[in-house]
Amino acid sequence: MVWKESLQHTALSTKQINATPELRILLIDENRQRAESLTSALNNSRYKISHLANPDMSLLKQVDQIQPDIIVIDIESPSRDMLESLGTISHYNPKPVVMFSGEGDTDTINQYIESGVSAYVVGDLQTERVKPILDAAVARFREFQKLKEELSDTKQQLVSRNLIDQAKRLLMKKKNLSEDDAFKAMRNTAMNTGQKLDDVAKTLISLLNTI
Amino acid sequence: MIEPEQTDLTLGFIPLTDSAPLIVAKELGFFSQWGLNVSLQKQNSWATLRDKLHAGLLDATQMLAPMPIASTLGLGCPKVKVITPLVLSLNGNAITLSEKLHQEILQENNIAHVTLPLAAYLLQKVISVRKMQNRPKLKFATVFPYSCHYYQVRDWLASANISEEDLDIVVVPPVNMVAFLQSGEIDGCCVGGPWNAKAVRAGIGLTALTSFDIWQDSPEKVLGLLASFQQANPNTVLALTAALKQACIWLENIPNRFEAARLLSSDQYLDASVDVIAPSLIGSCLTHISLPPRAIPSYNQFSKSNNGSINVPEYIRGEWLISQMAKAGQLKNIDVPADIVREVFRPDIYQQMRLKLEDQAVQFFRRSG
Repeated sequence: MVWKESLQHTALSTKQINATPELRILLIDENRQRAESLTSALNNSRYKISHLANPDMSLLKQVDQIQPDIIVIDIESPSRDMLESLGTISHYNPKPVVMFSGEGDTDTINQYIESGVSAYVVGDLQTERVKPILDAAVARFREFQKLKEELSDTKQQLVSRNLIDQAKRLLMKKKNLSEDDAFKAMRNTAMNTGQKLDDVAKTLISLLNTI
Repeated sequence: MIEPEQTDLTLGFIPLTDSAPLIVAKELGFFSQWGLNVSLQKQNSWATLRDKLHAGLLDATQMLAPMPIASTLGLGCPKVKVITPLVLSLNGNAITLSEKLHQEILQENNIAHVTLPLAAYLLQKVISVRKMQNRPKLKFATVFPYSCHYYQVRDWLASANISEEDLDIVVVPPVNMVAFLQSGEIDGCCVGGPWNAKAVRAGIGLTALTSFDIWQDSPEKVLGLLASFQQANPNTVLALTAALKQACIWLENIPNRFEAARLLSSDQYLDASVDVIAPSLIGSCLTHISLPPRAIPSYNQFSKSNNGSINVPEYIRGEWLISQMAKAGQLKNIDVPADIVREVFRPDIYQQMRLKLEDQAVQFFRRSG
């Protein structure tokens, strides 16, 4: 279900994606035959596959060297834990991960993975489906990154507003100013010193609290 | 007796020495005694095991002790309420260093041999010399971000004021640890059995200390299941917990542990030789190919009759784990509800199960009397 939705999403953004340069894919699959047919299916596309048949030895090195845009991995691979940790205890940028599963239960499991976030599961990888799958992964991941950035912007704005409010209240209380005057005083300081309003607020709070 | 609502169960396990309670309960028929038909499904990664539990593809599973908390808080995954009614084992991990790092320690500290358990300060010289010579930082591996292994490595290093900045900590699946140590891709690892013993037997590493040398008797593996599964199937959960507790009791007896090692060694479970499974089970820590083993009686602990509480998921254990997660910076910007431990750790279910176990024992005596 999740999967179909995402395909529709992609239809909109395919044009945009096609304009972007080559994307590097790290494919982790012990099945060499499948890897070969996937590689040839993606010939003449913007995807460039680096295949890792024996991830056991050098996954971390590969991630370091190739800096892949997408990682494609068998959901049953032991290396999943390694990928999982890249963003948690190691300091790698998040990468979209596409997991494939030979079992027919991808819909169930998808609802419980951070679907659309950084990873999701598709059925068995077939050559004719691989390109739309990768397109969708890239589109979803970008969309999520955008949402995440928007969220952190919003959070930052909230923090600023709280700081400004707090400083304003302190000024009103300790300097007996009206709300309007308190705000004007802060705004003037900001303009005169070339600082941001929330930086002025921060300074005021620490000053007024110590006095 | 208990009448389970659901009798067919699929349980997940990772092929490790401390999955013994699940394998023993299956092989010795404890599950069937409680009316359960259990199939054990071998898993290759903790992340996939967790996702399958969340999705209901596994009814219950062996988990790293911090994992039910991580699931409930939504760390590294969407929030899903996971509970634990039973602690399956204590201790069981060890830190093994590559032979190359072992030699580096001897050389930089000007010593002929190390004393075990190895003090972390012996790494300080190695770290500073590497830094001076512009060589890469030491790289240590653990098994999962939310694992005691990770917190134990951090604590051991912190005992010598070595911070995470001084070296790299990465996650490597247990099955790859020995190969990584050998190839030099990592310099040390904290992992469970049989992997430490495997590295030592192969002459690849030095087991510097066990997790028992770092933390004494803290929960390592727990039984994890969805809170919603327990609400829908309370009797199934009691039966499951009782069968596993029975297996833990059976495993307390040292002579039984060698038998357990033989069960574990089969292809469908650990697929490893008794040579590397048995030592930790019988309290022996292999250290180095040319050094004698150390006696660590609590290396793998499943039950203690003089301390009946080790399988109880006590709140204090959960609080300790949360404090470790916080110390590792994993709870930054995370909303941690005040009652999180009470939600996840469920001694109440354990106590109900204990009463059922006692009933069963009384009935057994009546029948045999």
